[in-house]
Amino acid sequence: MKAYQKYFTTKLVWFLTTFVFAFLLNFILPRLMPGDPVAVITQRVTQGMTSQSGAQAVYQQYAEQFGTNKPIWEQFFKYVVNVAQGDLGVSFSQYPRPVADILGASIGWTIALQFPAIIVGWLIGNSLGALAAYLKGGFDKVLMPISIFVSNFPAFGMAVIMLVVFGVNLRWFPTSGGYGFDLIPSPTAEFVWSVIVHYQLPFWSIVLISIGGQAIGMRSMAIYELNADYVKYSRFMGIKDWKIIGYVFRNAMLPQITGLALSIGTMVGGALVAEIIFSYPGLGFTLLNGVVGQDYPLISAATLIITVMVLIANFSIEIIYGLIDPRVKAAQAD
Amino acid sequence: MGKVMLEVRDLTTKYITRFREDVYAVDHVSLKVEEGKSLGIAGESGCGKSTLALSLMGYYFPPLYYTSGDIIIDGRNISGMNPDDVRRSILGTEIAYIPQAAMNALNPTQKVIHFVEDVIQAHNPKATKKEIYELASERFHLLGLPPEVLQKYPVELSGGMKQRTVIAVSVILGPKVLIADEPSSALDVTSQKMVIKMLRDLMESGLIKSMIFITHELPLLYNVTDHIMVMYAGQIVEHGAASEAVFDPLHPYSKGLMGSIIVPEAGLREHKLTAVPGVPPNLKKPPSGCRFAERCKYVRPECRGAAVNIREGGVGRTYRCILTESELREVYKNAA
Repeated sequence: MKAYQKYFTTKLVWFLTTFVFAFLLNFILPRLMPGDPVAVITQRVTQGMTSQSGAQAVYQQYAEQFGTNKPIWEQFFKYVVNVAQGDLGVSFSQYPRPVADILGASIGWTIALQFPAIIVGWLIGNSLGALAAYLKGGFDKVLMPISIFVSNFPAFGMAVIMLVVFGVNLRWFPTSGGYGFDLIPSPTAEFVWSVIVHYQLPFWSIVLISIGGQAIGMRSMAIYELNADYVKYSRFMGIKDWKIIGYVFRNAMLPQITGLALSIGTMVGGALVAEIIFSYPGLGFTLLNGVVGQDYPLISAATLIITVMVLIANFSIEIIYGLIDPRVKAAQAD
Repeated sequence: MGKVMLEVRDLTTKYITRFREDVYAVDHVSLKVEEGKSLGIAGESGCGKSTLALSLMGYYFPPLYYTSGDIIIDGRNISGMNPDDVRRSILGTEIAYIPQAAMNALNPTQKVIHFVEDVIQAHNPKATKKEIYELASERFHLLGLPPEVLQKYPVELSGGMKQRTVIAVSVILGPKVLIADEPSSALDVTSQKMVIKMLRDLMESGLIKSMIFITHELPLLYNVTDHIMVMYAGQIVEHGAASEAVFDPLHPYSKGLMGSIIVPEAGLREHKLTAVPGVPPNLKKPPSGCRFAERCKYVRPECRGAAVNIREGGVGRTYRCILTESELREVYKNAA
């Protein structure tokens, strides 16, 4: 257990270091964009106002409120203190709505869309890959080219094709939004059905592009493991084939778990394309709006959430790995 | 003469390559191992030693296929038996195997004891975990392995320890024949000694009834086995008592093998090692006459004619050459 504690501590230190740097970049990068968001807000508010000094005063007031007139390091420390207190600031583009409020409304949509899609894609992909490795022959020969073709499809391409085929031509599913535009979120059957119908296209566009890659990865791992020496030895000790296949797939699965964790971690970023194309009200769509509106607090907060999710996913996977694969633990203990 | 534990008559097995060519890697091999005895199989890489080991178990999977011949273990003919029956009632219990690369023979993500459980339960589904643990720890103790090894993952064991663990697991069901395929070739000398001692202990304690030991290291064979068989290109070229095969080889190939042994001695650097030049023939198209003719120092035109048969040379001794024993001795004397 001591070796495992050491493993755990080392990993934790690394992840904290990564977090500090990522946090810093999350703050700085949006603020390096050219343009002045405060001027944009001022312009919006002072529309029709004729007095130059009046507009100047409004600008000063907003600059004071957002802290954009202070040196960047001072803004940073203020930001750190605020975030530590759970305050993500006020959105520029949707002033005076708080950032936390905007993100809170969209993150649920993203998780509900992405999480099941990733899991389903992962399960189907891995099962197909494992079957291809085990059955070989015709199944393998058909599945592999298709997988390679589909996995190299860009995400937007798949989304657009599905949109055109099932949304525009066949009219089976609606083309945009998270629910019917004429509905108000409420626990009625009509609303729930509308959500389910709107869910299908973004969901399957994400599932389809992830299946191919998973299947290819699983297939090569499983083929490698099926030819391992322990398989031959187990056979010659009279162990049943289904039991040996159990060993093989457990071992072949290990690298695939990393892939799963990574896609869960990068869920929000990955959602961007599907959410934008289907105008799905998730985090990716919100982030896009933030970037368009030069909304520093919104961009920083959204990227901060993405960072934290990626880090947590990676960290948990390293920890689980240490538990399920004795080789990792042994290597760390040296 | 003891009870015959393993008898093989004219066993032929082949590989079918990707291009549908047949490669007879074991070609009409016959052998016999008595209770309490061990047989060594020698030969260079690619001569069919390991394929013979795999073929002896009667459990074939592609690309290796059974062609003809009999394998009789303790009076029971297992050739032509249904693979499922072989797996259930022969492998592990009648005949057990120590693989060439024991380093990777254990599943890396499974504790040793769980593998032992799987092995025993494959043959006796009713065995409880407790019984298995008791049997395994007793057996490991007997073989000089600490029982803690059972609770470890293979990565936590050293190479020598892994090898000995694999041996201990292989013999856990008390097989009648143990096939050890180069069990010590990847180990340092200390571990090698321990492995050899372990195999001898197994024979002496009667945990295994007989053994086939495969290696390319002839001095080792002489120390461990009672009889030695030399293989070349899928065929037996010489078979006799260990001392005869090592110190008085008849077949030119055996003679060449013995001459290529490195024995530490003063002035070794000045000494010229006599290796056997050339490589074994391609078994997709074996030469029509003597398969060793291409590389034989004493080759004659008639060697390349018809296939060469095994001939008797002294008591319990056979070799495959067109020359008689006295002719061969004459040739060797003139060459020296």
